[in-house]
Amino acid sequence: MTALLGPEISWYLAVSGFLFATGALGVLLRRNPLIVLLSLEIMLNGGNLALIGFSRNLGDGGGQIFALAVMAVAASEVVVGLGLVVALNRKRVTLDVDRLNTLRG
Amino acid sequence: MLIASAGNVLVWIVWIVAAFACLGSGIAVVSFSNPFYSALALIGNLGSLAVLYLLLNAEFVAAAQVLVYAGAVMVMFLFVIAYIGPRTESPWMGGPSWQAAGAVLAAGALLVEIVVVIGLKASGHLAHSEHVDQTFGTPAYIGRLFLTDHLLAFEITSIVLLVAAIGGVILGAHSRRSPEEVPSLR
Amino acid sequence: MVYGAWICLLSPLVAACAITLGGTRQSRRAAGYLATASCFVAFAGAVAAFIGLLGRQGGDRQIISTAWTWITGGSYQSGLQILIDPLSVFMMLVVSGVGALIVWYSIGYMDGDDEERRYFAYMALFVFSMLLLVQAGNLLLLLAGWGMVGLSSYLLIGYWHERPSAVAAAKKAFVMNAIGDATMALAFFLLIQKGNSLEFGILGGQFSSTVANLVALGLLGGAVAKSAQIPLHTWLPDAMEGPTPVSALIHAATMVTAGVYLIVRTHAIFEQAPKIADLAAGLGALTLLVAGLIALVQVDIKRVIAYSTMSQIGYMFVGAGVGSYPNAMFHLMTHAFFKALLFMAAGIVIHALVNEQDIRKMGGLRQLAPKTYWAFLIGSLALVGIFPFAGFFSKDSILAAAMAHGGWYGYLLWAAGLIGTLLTGLYTFRLFFIVWWGEPSAFVREHFHPLRRDVVGISLAIPVGVLAVLSVVGGWIQFSPWWHPVETWLQTVAEPLVSPESWQEWLSIALSLLLGLSGIAVAWSIYGAKRLAVPRIAWAQRTLEHKFWFDEAYDAVFYEPAVFFANLLRRGIEEPIISDSGRDLGDDTRDLGGLVARAQTGLVRTYVLAIASSVAVLAVVFVIVK
Repeated sequence: MTALLGPEISWYLAVSGFLFATGALGVLLRRNPLIVLLSLEIMLNGGNLALIGFSRNLGDGGGQIFALAVMAVAASEVVVGLGLVVALNRKRVTLDVDRLNTLRG
Repeated sequence: MLIASAGNVLVWIVWIVAAFACLGSGIAVVSFSNPFYSALALIGNLGSLAVLYLLLNAEFVAAAQVLVYAGAVMVMFLFVIAYIGPRTESPWMGGPSWQAAGAVLAAGALLVEIVVVIGLKASGHLAHSEHVDQTFGTPAYIGRLFLTDHLLAFEITSIVLLVAAIGGVILGAHSRRSPEEVPSLR
Repeated sequence: MVYGAWICLLSPLVAACAITLGGTRQSRRAAGYLATASCFVAFAGAVAAFIGLLGRQGGDRQIISTAWTWITGGSYQSGLQILIDPLSVFMMLVVSGVGALIVWYSIGYMDGDDEERRYFAYMALFVFSMLLLVQAGNLLLLLAGWGMVGLSSYLLIGYWHERPSAVAAAKKAFVMNAIGDATMALAFFLLIQKGNSLEFGILGGQFSSTVANLVALGLLGGAVAKSAQIPLHTWLPDAMEGPTPVSALIHAATMVTAGVYLIVRTHAIFEQAPKIADLAAGLGALTLLVAGLIALVQVDIKRVIAYSTMSQIGYMFVGAGVGSYPNAMFHLMTHAFFKALLFMAAGIVIHALVNEQDIRKMGGLRQLAPKTYWAFLIGSLALVGIFPFAGFFSKDSILAAAMAHGGWYGYLLWAAGLIGTLLTGLYTFRLFFIVWWGEPSAFVREHFHPLRRDVVGISLAIPVGVLAVLSVVGGWIQFSPWWHPVETWLQTVAEPLVSPESWQEWLSIALSLLLGLSGIAVAWSIYGAKRLAVPRIAWAQRTLEHKFWFDEAYDAVFYEPAVFFANLLRRGIEEPIISDSGRDLGDDTRDLGGLVARAQTGLVRTYVLAIASSVAVLAVVFVIVK
């Protein structure tokens, strides 16, 4: 049985929080849908890091399972998102998130 | 907190390098205007994260991260970016002025909150990590969990992947018609 | 006998329902026949009940027949029961008999009208309601009949509903009746509270004098409204907007007499409240004078007869008020005969002159309609009370009873009654001479057409004839000084309070006969032989023509303030708050929706910003709470 070497869990969580905020900033500010998807990936990875961190902290494997599931979901979401972007591109639609605004009130 | 021992110091150094790589690549992803560069930065991010996972005794997840995420998902991203080509007409940023301010505010608030929580409240809880044995995080360990305690998650995940695959096929299918006029969006 | 009474009550109801449900499937004439037949069946039932009662002895003549328990509320219980006793059988005979004749007459009168079936349904409904009223075994059912009679009256006055004047008259009648209904209901509430029952017997119970006075006052209010006495009398002349048979049946023979019936039926409480009984007599005397005076200047043939009705019911109220109940009922009966006769004869005249009712256009009809002339003459003589016609026997006993009541008040009533006789002679024969004597006027020459000889003519002629005969012989049933079977008959129900001396009777007879004849003489000299000119006193003329300003007074006291208040409420509350609020609510909601819609920018990034902000806020909340 080994103890955790290196920094405490709180450091990992700080990194995870930073990653999450950075990804959020990207989603909120960028207009290229591809960049938005990439920023979304950053956010998901931040969450994953927190999960793994807690899993190690509590000695419970469930966090890692959860992280794997998140990874699978992220992959699926990227598939669909990229499919959409490709379809938009085929229709010669401007790839600008702000231009895709027909759902307005 | 700073327990100085040989193994520990090594871990600390690796941690610092990996953490900064992670943060830097994360900022790079949201900053570049060329999506290709952003994707590459993301790959770097994923790699550094894998290192961090290894430090947390999550071997299988680290491997999966590199294989699946960096290896498959990012390759798909790069394929699509390459396919779409240099059509980066969209400006880096724009839209309503309050959007930018609000975004910075919201993201900043989130970060501050997380740090505050970690710093103030949860230090007591997080101070002590469990001691784990050698098998923690090994593929066998994960596999056993997948097939016993978390079987439902396993099955549902597989369904999600199936649905996504179908969705991807549908979205990507070529239409028989000729490309239509660009529908007016404004 | 019990069956007879139930048949009497229900047969018009069956006819009303049948006519209503039959709709246009039946011919118009068939509806008329059905209604008439039902009334005759009712009369047969009444006769059966009468004969049944005759077979019993005096004290035994009270049968209550209950159909089922109608209302149970706490300790109060009321059954659907009819009462068969001398008084109710008396009224049943009058109502169903005269009613049957008038409905038969209506077949001819209303012939050709588009909505005859509705008319006959209403008439049958009215006869049923009136029979319910007189046969009711308790006050609650009486009130039910009371209300339905008011309803039928409203329906029938406003029968020609395309005429605004008819509709207004119907509303007026109903509203004034409703005032009476309200006072009666209040009286009933008191009775339930004090006595816990609305049976007739309770009225004889012991009440404190305030309670007795209040109850009697409430009942009097209802009677005054229904019988068109002052102060609730202004609806009756307007009610002449209805068809003439309606005026004959409802506003002469039956409904307006319901008030008298009520007082006689509830005489026990009036005896406990002598001041109210005196008030009733006083109102009756006042009405008979006022109505008589107004009738002197009326130019509508039906309105003259209407005021005459008001006046005669005043006599009945005097009789009931002083406690001479059998005489009041006797006068009710004879009045039904000759008043219905007069209305129906007037109806024939109106029909013959293409619905013209203004007597100034009439004149000299004597040669043109001789039979109607005689009928009208008989009716008029009966009305004035000339021997040997019906009115003579009934009216004078009331006068004698007033005198026997004693005190200065009794003599005052007596004097009023005598002056009333003079006025009656005057206005009745003014009408008679103007319409029938002299040369035919231009209008008459141009428009008169005689009665047809077919079904229509027969149905108009025979009931008039029957009533003419009754107006002659109907009074011979009772002649107070010598024989009084009516009094004996009704005694078990309502013992008269006063027994006039013989000399009082003879004096009243002599004076009233004298005054009646002098009234006729004056009318003859002014209108018949045209020896004297009509006296012209401008202010008197105006007052009489405006019916003593009653309508104007009510307008100023009740209507105008109500309208003012309603307008105030409308401008102050209804419009700004209620109706405008609805509109403002819609506008505000729309504006709010517009505001909210601004959040729908269409930019995905905005939506994500919203999510992120909410997460940030929620995180703070969770941290604080935790």
